[in-house]
Amino acid sequence: MLNDIIKPQTALFEDGFQTVLRGHENRNRRVVLLKGNLTANSRSEARGVSARVGKDGLYGFASAAEYSPEAAARVLKAARSNVLLLDRHAKTRTPMPPALAQETVPLNREIADAEQKRIIEASRALDDYVAKTYPDLLSRSIVYTEDSQDRIVYASDACSGHLTSPRCYIYVMMTMQAEDGTPVELFKALGGAGCFDDHFTDLAQYYPAIENLYQKVKDKTHGIHAEAGYKQVVLGGMMGGMLAHEAVGHTVEADLVMGGSVAGPNLGKRVASDLVTLIDFAHTYNGSPAPLPVFLDDEGVKAEDAVLIKDGILTGYMNNRETAQRFGQKPAGNARAWAFSDEPLIRMRNTCILPGSNTLEELIASVDDGYYLVDSRNGQADLTGEFMFGVACGYEIKHGKLGRALLDTTVSGVAFDMLKTVDMVSDTVEWSSSGFCGKKQMIPVGMGGPCMRCHIMIGGR
Amino acid sequence: MSELKQKADFLENLLKERAVEKYAFSLRESEKQELNTEGDTFKLMRTVFGGGAGVTVYQAGRKGSASGNDLSEEGLAALTESALAAAESAPEDPAHDIAPDQGKHAFTQGAVEADFDRFFDRLEEMQTDIAAEYPSVHVMEMVADHTAGRTIYRNSNGTCAESVSGWYDVTVEFSAGDGEKNTGLEYAFQRLDSLDGKLIDLGDFRRKFEAIQRQIDPAPLSGKFEGTAVFTPGCLLDFIGMTLDNYAGGGVILDGTSQWLDKVGEKVADERITIGFDPFDPRIVCGERLTGDGYLSEPVNVIENGVLKAHMLGLYAANKTGRPVLKNDGSDLIMKPGAESLETILAGIEKGLLIGGFSGGHPGANGEFSGVAKNSFLIEHGRVTRAVTETMINGNLGEMLQHVRGISKETDDSGLFSLPYLAVDGIVISGK
Repeated sequence: MLNDIIKPQTALFEDGFQTVLRGHENRNRRVVLLKGNLTANSRSEARGVSARVGKDGLYGFASAAEYSPEAAARVLKAARSNVLLLDRHAKTRTPMPPALAQETVPLNREIADAEQKRIIEASRALDDYVAKTYPDLLSRSIVYTEDSQDRIVYASDACSGHLTSPRCYIYVMMTMQAEDGTPVELFKALGGAGCFDDHFTDLAQYYPAIENLYQKVKDKTHGIHAEAGYKQVVLGGMMGGMLAHEAVGHTVEADLVMGGSVAGPNLGKRVASDLVTLIDFAHTYNGSPAPLPVFLDDEGVKAEDAVLIKDGILTGYMNNRETAQRFGQKPAGNARAWAFSDEPLIRMRNTCILPGSNTLEELIASVDDGYYLVDSRNGQADLTGEFMFGVACGYEIKHGKLGRALLDTTVSGVAFDMLKTVDMVSDTVEWSSSGFCGKKQMIPVGMGGPCMRCHIMIGGR
Repeated sequence: MSELKQKADFLENLLKERAVEKYAFSLRESEKQELNTEGDTFKLMRTVFGGGAGVTVYQAGRKGSASGNDLSEEGLAALTESALAAAESAPEDPAHDIAPDQGKHAFTQGAVEADFDRFFDRLEEMQTDIAAEYPSVHVMEMVADHTAGRTIYRNSNGTCAESVSGWYDVTVEFSAGDGEKNTGLEYAFQRLDSLDGKLIDLGDFRRKFEAIQRQIDPAPLSGKFEGTAVFTPGCLLDFIGMTLDNYAGGGVILDGTSQWLDKVGEKVADERITIGFDPFDPRIVCGERLTGDGYLSEPVNVIENGVLKAHMLGLYAANKTGRPVLKNDGSDLIMKPGAESLETILAGIEKGLLIGGFSGGHPGANGEFSGVAKNSFLIEHGRVTRAVTETMINGNLGEMLQHVRGISKETDDSGLFSLPYLAVDGIVISGK
């Protein structure tokens, strides 16, 4: 854990500049067992200090790979020099965002470090279990990955605090041979926010999830190609989460709105059926901790939920302090940086479509000819709201019943068109939190959603 | 003696004192100056004083690695202990090793000293050029930086290499619009080591700005057909990466799931296909000089005239499978261009798609891919007729390389790769 050695350097903050000083450490632990072979066994720590200084709508940033009072003084000076240099080339200048109420956000939790030996033992134990229980796998891999952020933030005119964000996962990947001799695969991420001991002292708790994964891979060995075209589908909760993040979330990031995103002209308008409400949760969902809680962002904004779509109407964007001022909205703590050397960007936190009132069984029973798309491999979207998700696991639906498994495919659509076709929403939400979102920097994000019946383009032979 | 060399000496002595049987380490210091624009305004200037160290130790066939950025003596000592602790708990596996002694080397590449005033001027000139020549293009953000660094690598077999390098990177994120309609996002990237020419004339900038202007009013495609896909160089980069990863990468050879497992020496692609890595190609800026295993990097072809020449194996995977190691980590991708112009290739296509980008799931081990064709145009009767949206493509990576219709003589030389346009038949193209 970082010791706060940078607070005295806040005395170097200068009047007339909006300044944020950040001490920051990222830790990573990684173990990979590929078919029983240990192919990665590494630990890393990257620690440093950064300063961002704003003046007249221009920003200077500097970071040093050193965590010391001297480094803090050095980056404050360099960041100020940068903004003054920029001022000589600036074509436009704008007022800085107004000051926010200042308070200190308390430390949310400690980070506990597990010895590499325990990580390897747990990974090995899970690998042994998979190898012994499922001898017909063509290949298997176990990947332990742990990353954490430990940040101390001081803002000249906003909140300060010391916050941590640890998370750790074991990915179980299984490959089997399909009927045509080609390999098919699936993976499952086990774990979540927290440290090793929060998740991996009792591995047996994961055996049912591993069995479920195995059954799905086995189904896939008899898989068929989806029929390409515009289809009625039931999106599983993980797909719903991907939809919340990729298809809608990115278009309502205010920097992308300024870049011409489809959300710009649609604020206050209907963009989805009235069954759809989408919120970027800060740290609490339904009275419990959100998958990846964020309490304070890297501009010193205390985190709150951002309501993006309410009953189908686009109600707001995700902002940093500057875009919030520009759009007349309240900053909610979405300006996040991944490493000490990164400047804060507008990022999602825990983006989720709220549940409805139907059961999954009712959704499936209501489809005569379509697909149940269970799990996604990845996704992308752009300014127009056109998105695609890779579908790693799915089944055909015939006459209201599940049929054969699907081979890997892709779905696509235009978010604000596709969301208007949502006509049934399930009553439970499924979350995922193991992923990174890429946008100049990586950042951990949580995403969640219910199952939804809708129409979507699906790729296939 | 430079401070970094002193730190390297300290770390090496430490590893010897701890009686580490085998080791490899690298130390790096760097400085990046980065400019970010928002629209046509320089918005953020960023300075990153960077540095780091990575240590890998091998004790009794057990391997452990640790990395960090605390280069103080205490930090390097802690890093060494962390690597040793990782090794101690690892299982014994004699396949873990480092390359034999490659000698002592000093490399200097690129623009080590930044000419930042001139860089500023070039960037402002580029903004002016875009506004004047491509009025519909809206630059959302330009990220331009100069990075310079020094790296010292040493291992217990005697290899010692010091590398000093510097380069400029320019990334432009842009769309196009006519006041009412906007396109999706497009990106263009260039790495360079000289500021002698106009930035807009480099690499793929002009082609991408021209293409996005014609994307403002795309229409969905109706129905489904099997046709010819022409991949632009930037899009081809993704497909070659996926193909090599899926069929020739260390992971799929090690676990035996590659469909090219026993195909070295056999034809896996059209005879016009030659794909390799050449860190010494003059079009590459600051190419790889040393692999992660400690080999001096060499130019290699993975596929040569359609024949699979090698798998992309690091030393561990090579030792584990008894196959040869590839003395290149897969940087500096070069694909041999063809003899025909893009125009000639397009003229011979009855129906197909010119694909500017691909947004799709990573293909499974069987190579089947499907995804959205981004920034793409319909080809009909030998002509590029209109921009399309909501169009999906499906195919198989392995089959794609065998169904080549043409390879262009034009290439995109980004400083990181050199790739032509590739036209392949048998791609399923589907609309709404």
